Amino acid sequence: MLMFSYLMATGITTGAFYALVALGIVIVYKATEVVNLAHGELFMVGGMLAYTCYVMEGLPYVPSLLLAVAGAFLVGILTERVAYRSVLKHGLASVLVATIGVSFILKGIARYIWGGKGDYLSFPPLVSPEPLQFGNIMIMAQQLVVLLAAVVVMAGLALFFKRTRAGKWMQATASNPKAALLCGLRIDRIYMYTFAVGAAVAGAAGVLMAPLTLLYPDVGFVLFIKGLAAAVLGGITSVPGAVVGGLLLGVIEQLAAGYVHSSIQDVVPFLVIMFALTFLPTGLFGVRGLRKI
Amino acid sequence: MKQLASTIGVAVALASMASFGVQAADVPGVSDTEIKVGTFGPLTGPVYIYGKLTMNGVEVYFNKLNEKGGIHGRKLVLVREDDLCKPEGAIAAVKKLVYEHKVFAIIGGGCSNSTLAARPEIEKAGVPFHVFAAVADGIVDPPATNIYTTQLTASIESHAQIQWALDRGSKKLAIVSQHDAWGRSRYEPMLQDLKRRGLQVVADEEVTVDQNDGTAQALRLKSSGADAVLLLGYPKAAAVVIRDSIKIGYKPIWIGQTAIQDLPALQGLIGIDGSLANFVSITTIPGHPDNPQYAEWKKLLKDTFPNDELSVFNLMGIAAAEVFGKVVEAAGKELTREKFLAAYDTIDNFKSSVYPGPITCKGEHKCNQSPAFVKLDNNSVVLAGTVVLK
Repeated sequence: MLMFSYLMATGITTGAFYALVALGIVIVYKATEVVNLAHGELFMVGGMLAYTCYVMEGLPYVPSLLLAVAGAFLVGILTERVAYRSVLKHGLASVLVATIGVSFILKGIARYIWGGKGDYLSFPPLVSPEPLQFGNIMIMAQQLVVLLAAVVVMAGLALFFKRTRAGKWMQATASNPKAALLCGLRIDRIYMYTFAVGAAVAGAAGVLMAPLTLLYPDVGFVLFIKGLAAAVLGGITSVPGAVVGGLLLGVIEQLAAGYVHSSIQDVVPFLVIMFALTFLPTGLFGVRGLRKI
Repeated sequence: MKQLASTIGVAVALASMASFGVQAADVPGVSDTEIKVGTFGPLTGPVYIYGKLTMNGVEVYFNKLNEKGGIHGRKLVLVREDDLCKPEGAIAAVKKLVYEHKVFAIIGGGCSNSTLAARPEIEKAGVPFHVFAAVADGIVDPPATNIYTTQLTASIESHAQIQWALDRGSKKLAIVSQHDAWGRSRYEPMLQDLKRRGLQVVADEEVTVDQNDGTAQALRLKSSGADAVLLLGYPKAAAVVIRDSIKIGYKPIWIGQTAIQDLPALQGLIGIDGSLANFVSITTIPGHPDNPQYAEWKKLLKDTFPNDELSVFNLMGIAAAEVFGKVVEAAGKELTREKFLAAYDTIDNFKSSVYPGPITCKGEHKCNQSPAFVKLDNNSVVLAGTVVLK
């Protein structure tokens, strides 16, 4: 029973990691129908910028977090303007290739700037690194911070899409770009801000998760795969779905590793993606497209 | 007569040109003023540290030699090739170094699998090859006349890990390993050595290089009752398993290898003070890069590579280059590849400024057979001891 409790608690807290990554993927997909394959690298950039501010320059934590998020937001704008905007009109395949290119470029830049300082950079946690006791199990306090952050970001995004004009413009653009254009929306600008908001969420996730994931130029790839699995499971256009998908993925992964064998832990996300695509093509919370006759 | 003299003159001129040509072809990469030395390993990609940082160390040592006038009046020039840590990359890199850059010798090999794949090409080319980081035994075993390593090999390290546990009275051993090519090069010799000793592990867990949580592994280790865990993982994988073991209150003896020998860095990754109280690791260097004994290297590295902080990888390059330089020196002024390879026999109980044990290449292509262990004591890296392999 103790083992089950530990696996469930760890599954939920690691699932919050995946949920935070999935949220950024969902934002971009919801508005542009593009899966940003450089999303993991935006996560890494956020973490590295925070490392520079907080560890190297000695700034306080909150300004470091804000600067890192702002930096990631700017990188999001820059990548959209330079790499994606011109290829968006050529179709999804071209944009996907562009996102792969951006992913490699960001990793290369990170290796150049932060690459000579050791293999992994450790980032001090926001809270005490000692585990906290809940009943008869122990949980890392930083994992609870990430869990809380996932809930806050999810709530914020839900409000953003439901209550703000910008959120509605993004959804309208995603739903029908031509109609949005006819209504006077500047869809190129909306795309730009969508990529930037997605990058900012990735940057925030990078800062919050860095004490647990550590920082290195390639840290984003595995988390991106897991975030994508969570997003697909939740229904890739659903914000609550991304969170539920992330938590489910975390729990499944832990239970499989604990009760079957640790060797299958990293196979789980791929099995989840295959399962979701085969049996739940719209995911748990996705909406099937409506067609009027 | 005049015609005969001119014919002889032309013949002499041709003969001397030919002899000059033969000499140049015989000693590629060597001129009166410099020796061109090739290196290959990952300069980019996820494991660039094993290539780029180690090469930076080699270059720092070469610079030091060059500032003193080089060896026998020749400066050492390092030519880098990126193998991306991929077998096909290493083969291409070796070909480029040998046939395009025409280097005299190679000091390199950042990744085991790619270096192993390049061995046939290196043997075919006959270029002297000094391994600086890769650990797979197959690179030097069976021995090739032109390949030497001063790095501890995977099997020596795996045997030493087991020996350390047994010397401390451990009864229940467990393994936590990465099952990639690097991990397997250690895991398989470890299983063979356990079998040879008639031992079985009580838990055999897997981690990945990008592991973000090790709770499942820690729970399985704890339930197996293992009193010593042999860690065959990179720093991140090791850090999360140790961190999550502490979380669940599991405290075995942890026995690491050279990939996790930077103990202050490992403790920083774990993020919990005192987390390495029961941890030892095999070491390439008897201390930490921040120790005063490496101050000179730290300064020289900063002078050349201002973005680098002196790391174990830099020191691995410096250590290998130090032995390489000794061999070049011993080969004499009339440098040939044959004389260079023969000069490895002069390296006998050589005390380097970096390696913890003596280096002996005399009659041996695995020149480093002295595994030493380090531990963290009051936040300082100190020698924990050595083992005698049985």
